[in-house]
Amino acid sequence: MTDSYADGAPERDSQSNTSENQQGEGITARLIPVLVPALLLLASLILPGFMFHAGQRGSLPGLGPGAWPGAVLAALAVFSAIWLAIEIWGFAKSRKSASLSAPHDEDVYHYGKAIIGIVLVIAFGWLLPVLGFPLATMLFLFIWCLYGGLRNPLVMLLVPGIGTVALLWVFMGLALMPLSRGMGPFEGFTIALLQLIGIY
Amino acid sequence: MQTLEFILGGFQSVFQIAAFLTVVIGLLVGVIAGALPGISFVNAMAMALPFTYTMDVTHAMLFLGGIYVGGVFGGSISAIMINVPGTPASLPATWDGYAMTKKGQVKRALTIAVTASAVGGLISALMLTFLSAPFASFAMKFSQPEFFAATVLGLVSVIAIAKDKPVITMISLLIGMAIGTVGVDPLFGQARFSFGVPEIESGIRFVVVMIGLFAIGEVIDLVATDRDLRPKKTEGKAVGASFHDILGVKGAILRGSGLGCIIGIIPGAGATPGAVIAYGVEKQVNPRGAEFGTGVEGGLAAPEAAKNATTGAAMIPLLTLGIPGSAATAIMLAAMMLQGVNPGPLLFVMDPSMVYTIFAAMIIANILMIGAGVGVAQIFSFLMRTPPAILAGFIVILSLIGAYGVRNNIFDVYVCLVFGVIGWVMKRVGFPSAPLVLGVILGPLAERYFLTSVANSHQDYTVFFSRPISGSILFIAALFVLWSLWPSVRARIGRRSAAS
Amino acid sequence: MTLYHSLKTVLAGAVTAGLITPATMAQDYPQRPIQMVVAFGPGGGTDIMGRQIGKMLEAELGVSIPASNVAGASGNAGLTQMRTDPADGYTIGTLISLTVASWAAGLGDSKPEDFHVLSVVQNSPSFLFVAANSPHQTAEDLFAYAKANPGELTVATSGYGTQDDVTLKLLARDGIQMENVPFQAPGERYASPIGGHTAVLYEEPGDIAQFIEAGQLKPIVAFSAERHPAFPDVPTATELGHDISGLDNFRAIAVRAGTDPAIVEKLEAALGNVLASEEWQNFCTETYSCIEPVTGDAAQSMVTDFLQLITEQLES
Repeated sequence: MTDSYADGAPERDSQSNTSENQQGEGITARLIPVLVPALLLLASLILPGFMFHAGQRGSLPGLGPGAWPGAVLAALAVFSAIWLAIEIWGFAKSRKSASLSAPHDEDVYHYGKAIIGIVLVIAFGWLLPVLGFPLATMLFLFIWCLYGGLRNPLVMLLVPGIGTVALLWVFMGLALMPLSRGMGPFEGFTIALLQLIGIY
Repeated sequence: MQTLEFILGGFQSVFQIAAFLTVVIGLLVGVIAGALPGISFVNAMAMALPFTYTMDVTHAMLFLGGIYVGGVFGGSISAIMINVPGTPASLPATWDGYAMTKKGQVKRALTIAVTASAVGGLISALMLTFLSAPFASFAMKFSQPEFFAATVLGLVSVIAIAKDKPVITMISLLIGMAIGTVGVDPLFGQARFSFGVPEIESGIRFVVVMIGLFAIGEVIDLVATDRDLRPKKTEGKAVGASFHDILGVKGAILRGSGLGCIIGIIPGAGATPGAVIAYGVEKQVNPRGAEFGTGVEGGLAAPEAAKNATTGAAMIPLLTLGIPGSAATAIMLAAMMLQGVNPGPLLFVMDPSMVYTIFAAMIIANILMIGAGVGVAQIFSFLMRTPPAILAGFIVILSLIGAYGVRNNIFDVYVCLVFGVIGWVMKRVGFPSAPLVLGVILGPLAERYFLTSVANSHQDYTVFFSRPISGSILFIAALFVLWSLWPSVRARIGRRSAAS
Repeated sequence: MTLYHSLKTVLAGAVTAGLITPATMAQDYPQRPIQMVVAFGPGGGTDIMGRQIGKMLEAELGVSIPASNVAGASGNAGLTQMRTDPADGYTIGTLISLTVASWAAGLGDSKPEDFHVLSVVQNSPSFLFVAANSPHQTAEDLFAYAKANPGELTVATSGYGTQDDVTLKLLARDGIQMENVPFQAPGERYASPIGGHTAVLYEEPGDIAQFIEAGQLKPIVAFSAERHPAFPDVPTATELGHDISGLDNFRAIAVRAGTDPAIVEKLEAALGNVLASEEWQNFCTETYSCIEPVTGDAAQSMVTDFLQLITEQLES
C-alpha cells in the first residue's frame, strides 16, 4: 500500500475486481474518496459547537469537560485536511483514490444480497423491543434461513423453534439476562411462553 | 525457601478433588463466556458471585480465578474462527489468527493461540507467586501520569501496527477517540454530544462498537461471499500445530509474556493494551514482521501470550495492596470481602496458606486451560460445520444479545446496528476499523488520566515529562513511532532519489 | 382473510388477558422473577448491596431476583429503565445519593416523584482519610496546614459537582482550602493517597474497609452530626467547628411510582424482614453502613431533602 502514494497504476487491477466497481467508474464514484475526508473535515470543525446541549455549567476548575473532545476533534480536522490534500493530489494526477482500496481477496461479492442482509439485521434489532426477544428471534431465524437459501421445511421449522428455545434457556434461564419481553400483547405472549418452557 | 514451602502447601490444597473441580468448572464457564460475543467473562464472574457465597473463600477465589483465566483466552476462539473478537483483548487475534483460518489452518491457529496463552499465563502466575512483594512496591510508584504515558504507548502502537497508511490509521483512531468522548465526562459529570437525548448521556461503550463493526460486517460478508470457514481436508488428521510449530514461535511467546507481565501490573491498563502493544512490538522485532496480517504465527502468538500474561500480573496489586485494576479483579475483591477477607499487606502475614492456594490455583488453571481451550474449541468447530447461513443468523442474534447485555439497555442494540452498517461500509472501501475500536477503548482512559494528573499537580502540564517513569515511557513511545515509521520513510526517500 | 381474523382473535384475547390480570395480580404477586436493576457496574458497593438484597429477598418472596447491571451516566441509565418498565412490581432497583446529586448537576431526566422509595437500606457518612505515613495524622494538623498553605493539599474525590465537591467547598468557606482531584475509577482513587500521590482521600468507610483494617488509611474526621459507632475516636467536623452534615451516602431500593399499593406493601414487608435479619446486620456492619430502616414517606423525603440540599449548595 505504501506504493499507492507515489504511483497508483499497479493497484488498478485489484480495484476493478468486484463487478460493482466496474460499473461505478463514473465521475461520482471517483469523487467519493475526495468527499469522505471533506465531510470528516467539516464534521470535526462543526461538532465542537454541539458539544453541550444545555450549555456548560458555571465556572469550572481546570480545563473543563470540553478540552479533551476539543483537542481530539482539532487533531481529526488536521489529519482530515492532510487526507483531503492527498486525495485531491492523487485525483488530479491519476484519477483514482490515493489511499483507499477495497479488499480484493474475494472473487465474488453479491452486493444485492449484502444489502438485503443488512436490512434484515436492522429490522430484527428494531423489532426486538416491540415483539419481544422470543418472537422476534423466531421470525428472524425463519426469514434468515429463507434468505440463506434453505428450503427444507423440516429445517425451516426446527432451526427457529429449537434455536429460540435454546437461546432463551441459555440467556434468560441460565444467565438470567432481562431480555426484552415486548410491548402490550406481545409481553403477555412472551411471559406465557417463558412460563410454558419453565423459565419463569 | 519459605515461598516454596508455602506454594507446595498450596498445591496440596488445590489437588483436593473439590478444589480441582472448582477450577475446571470455572475454566469451562470462562472459556465459553469469553468465546461467545454475547457474554463477557466479567458478566460471567458477576453472575458467579452469588454462587461463591456458599463456598469458602479459597474455593470462591479458585472458581473466579478459573473464569478469569479461561475468559481472557476464550475471546480468541471466536476471533480466530469467525473474525469476531469475544473480548476486546482478542482483537489482535483477528489479524493473524483469522487470516490463518482463511488459509484453512484453523486448528493450527487455535493450538498456537491456546499454547501461547497458557505459557503467558503460566509465566505471569509464577511471577505472581515469587515476585509479588517487590513488584507491589514498584506498582505503588505508578500514578496517573504513568497511566497516561502507558495509554499513549498503547495508542502509538496502533499506528505502528498499520504503518503503511499512517494518515488513514490516525484518522480512524481519532474518530474512535471522538466517539469515546460521547456521554458523561469522567471528572465534571457533564453530558457531551448528547443532543438532549438521555440515552446518549450514558455514553457509547467500546464493546458495543466492537460487536457492531466486527460481527455484523463479518456476517454480511459471510453470506455475500461464498466463503467457507470449515477446516480444509488438506490440513490432515493432526490436532493442529506440531511441537515444531510451537518452538518456532517461542521468541514471540516469551516477548509477549514479558510485555504482558509488565503492563498487567499497572492498575487500569489490563489485557487489551497489553495485547495491542505486544502485537506492535512483535511486528517490529519479528523477522517476518512485514508479512503480519496475512496469517503469520508470531503475530498470533505474541498478543495471545501478552493478554493472558496480564491475568496473574493484575492480581499482584489486588492481593498485595487490595487495589483492583479492572472489573474482573474488582469482582474478586468483592468476593473476598463478602467472606470477611480483606486483601492487602496483612493478608500475607495473617493467612499465607490461603494466599498461596490462590497462587497455586492460578498456576494450575493456566496449565488446565490448554485442555479446556482445546475442548471448547472442538465444540465450536463442530458448530462451525453448520451451513454458513444458519451460522450467520445465530452470530447476528448473539451479537445483538451481547450489545444489549453490556448494560441491559436496548439503546446499545441500536448503537450496535449503526456501527454494523458503518463497519460494513468501512470494510468494503478498505478503511481500517481496528484503530477506531482501540480509540474508543483507550481514548477515554487517556482523557481521565490526563485530566486527573493535571488536577493532582496543580495544573502543571510538565508533570508527564518531569516524573522519571512517565517521562521514560513517553520517550519510549516517541522512539517507537520513529522506529516503526522509519522503513516507509526511507523507502520513499530512496524512491524519490532514484526517480530524480 | 381467515388468517387476519384468527390473528385478530388471538391479539384480542391477549389484550383482554392483559386487562384482566392487574386485578388478580396484587394477590398473586410475585409470580415470576423480579428484575433487580443495579444502576452501577459489577464489583462496586452498589452492586454488592443490590445482589445481597436480591439474594435475601428471594427467600422472602419465593421467586428468583436476578440482578442486572444497567450502568451509565452516574446511575441515571438504570433509573431510566426502572422508570420506563411497567409499574407492575417486577422491576425494582437501586437509588443512591450519588445519582440524586447528579440531578442537581443537570444529569438525567429523573425526578424523585418518578420513584417510590421502598426503603433506605444503607447509610454512611463520609470521612477524610490520610495514609499511615502522612505528615498530618489528625484533622487539627491537616486543617491548620491547609489554612497556612491554601490549595496545596490535594484531596482524591469522585468528581466535581458531587457531594464530595460540596463538602470541600464548605470547608473552603471556613478558610480550609484544598484542591479537589477527581478520580473516576474507585481503585485508583484509593491507591493514590496510599502511594503518596495525593494528600487526602474523601470516601465513605465501607468502600475501603480493607485499607482501614490493614492500617493503610486512617480516618481523621467524619462529616456527620454524631461520631460513627465504629470509629468512636474520630472527631466530627462539627466538633472542630465546621458544621457540615446531611451529605451522607445513602443507598435505597425503589420501584416505579404508581405501582399498586398492595404490591408495594408486600415488597416493603419483605424488605423489612431482610433488613432485620442477622445476615443483613453482619453485612452492613462490615461495610460500616447500618441504619435504622427508613421507609415510606420518610424515605421519600430523605431523597427530596438531599436533592434540595445539594442543589442549594451547588448554586451558592
